[in-house]
Amino acid sequence: MEKKNNLFKKHMLPLVLFVIALILPLVVPEFWVHVFNEILILGLFAAAFNLIFGYMGQLSFGQAAYYGIGAYTTGLLMVKLQWPLFLCLPFSMITAGIGALILGYFCVKLRGIYFAILTMAFGQLVFFIIFQWYSFTGGDNGLQGINPPLWLFKANAYYYFSLTVVTIGMVLLYFITESPFGYTLKAIRDNTERTEFIGINVQRYMLINFVISGMFCGLAGALWGPFNRSVAPDLCSWQHSGHPVFMAVMGGPYHFLGPMIGSVIFTFLNAFVTGFTEYWPLVSGVVMILVVLLMPGGLLGIIKSKGYFSPGNVGDVKNER
Amino acid sequence: MEFTFLFSQFMSGLTYGLMLFLVASGLSLIFGVMNILNFAHATLWLIGAYICFTFWSLMEAYQFALWVSIPLAALATAAFGWVCEVVLIKRIYKRELHEQLLITYAMALIFGDLIKIIWGPTDRLIVRPSIIQKPLHLFGAPIDSYFIFVILIGFAVAVGLWWFLKYTKYGHIVKAAVFSREMVGALGIPIPKIYTWVFTLGIFIAGLAGGVQSAIGSVTLGMDTNIIIQAFCVVVIGGFGSLMGTLVGSLIVGEVFSFAILYWPDGAMVLIFVITAAILIIRPWGLFGTPLRA
Repeated sequence: MEKKNNLFKKHMLPLVLFVIALILPLVVPEFWVHVFNEILILGLFAAAFNLIFGYMGQLSFGQAAYYGIGAYTTGLLMVKLQWPLFLCLPFSMITAGIGALILGYFCVKLRGIYFAILTMAFGQLVFFIIFQWYSFTGGDNGLQGINPPLWLFKANAYYYFSLTVVTIGMVLLYFITESPFGYTLKAIRDNTERTEFIGINVQRYMLINFVISGMFCGLAGALWGPFNRSVAPDLCSWQHSGHPVFMAVMGGPYHFLGPMIGSVIFTFLNAFVTGFTEYWPLVSGVVMILVVLLMPGGLLGIIKSKGYFSPGNVGDVKNER
Repeated sequence: MEFTFLFSQFMSGLTYGLMLFLVASGLSLIFGVMNILNFAHATLWLIGAYICFTFWSLMEAYQFALWVSIPLAALATAAFGWVCEVVLIKRIYKRELHEQLLITYAMALIFGDLIKIIWGPTDRLIVRPSIIQKPLHLFGAPIDSYFIFVILIGFAVAVGLWWFLKYTKYGHIVKAAVFSREMVGALGIPIPKIYTWVFTLGIFIAGLAGGVQSAIGSVTLGMDTNIIIQAFCVVVIGGFGSLMGTLVGSLIVGEVFSFAILYWPDGAMVLIFVITAAILIIRPWGLFGTPLRA
């Protein structure tokens, strides 16, 4: 009985969130449906990023590259070859995964600040290639007219489509993090040397994880194109790579749902603030400083430490900070 | 390609490289000593450029306006940097890497918007004093005479920093702090004070660079984003905390950029990132750095 109770407690937060996500679009105006859609897509992006950050303990400042590769794959396939959307999504995951495999091969040789800078340098490399390759990517004009199929044209329809894809993605990510593979990542995060000593090929695990993260970033990016009806090179810029970092830190990087919660706060704030001022960077910067100074461990970290409930714990070592 | 053309291209690459050096040397110094990667460094550089413009416009009528404005801008920017250090950076010395990065990233966002609020979105242009309006002829090649000034300032700062680190007591403390902060602290030297002044010195150089930049071309919003990324490339190529490395890295980036843009304009930036990535893969600590702490 107690075990069952625990199970319920453990899955309460995601279930409640899912039910809210199902009902809300029916009762709010269309503008907010778009905002919710953005929350879902960016939340998946942040959760995929967190595989490297919260679970593996390395800071990637270039995940927008794989998000952008996914977005451009879907955009190009739909605009130039008229592929159906449901085929574009898995294909975008593959291209983003290949990108992550090639660039990640070099990144996982480094740690700490050097890892962060190399991921950022590669992110900028992808950005400039997309930015300059006019004939293929449209350069700084981006790609327009990425229209979803007719039955997904309405805001609500595309929202439920996103919800389905993001939910599947999040469930897959959850199973990955709860698998022996996920636990190995946490071991690498908490003590890389000791993990190496028990015979685990740390670099290979990090590379596999980098590729998985890149694939899900690509999936999130692939959802973005048809949602926004266009893609632009800004999707790959280093400023865009900063968003998942901020979301994960705000929500709590050491909880599975932390990045998604961070996306809820960040995207809502964005929609709200840009409604009456153009100084969104200023506001987001101030919020970022307050979050880092006042709530280390993120929102879920604070709730957890007060002992209200257990929101899908990632690992215990870092929580004790 | 004739010689004069290549020579003038070389000179503009040298100018650009030394401008990058002025930005990157402070960035490298701050990282080497404090282990903090300052994303806001180029935004402070841009603030220096705007402050210089403001001082200049107050004294517009006089020929010496620019020459007075540049040091004033450097001092004003340094004062602002000092405030940032005392109010904000001091609180994150002991924090984790991602928290420090997010704080300086947030500073870059905030300062970028502050510039927009204070100076508005229009481009600002300084009218040069007559002495540097005409190009200079070197080996038959027309060279912007202000470039000579920029190059001189760049090398002067390089020599000044080298002298400071090599021959002064405080320079020795800074160099020791790059090597081992714990030991320096154990010797009874107040580390937080050293940090504050190193940060202020770094921002002073950035402000000086901004002031110098303001007369090269018009000062525009968003100039800082490209510079910060290239300054990162410079310190990665040269090695964090190494003055010589930063100088060599800046010259490499400046010249590669200047010549690549002739033959393959679209690929100039891509080439710089390829070089940076290659250095990171082969020698993560850079050409002149030493592999100390990760």
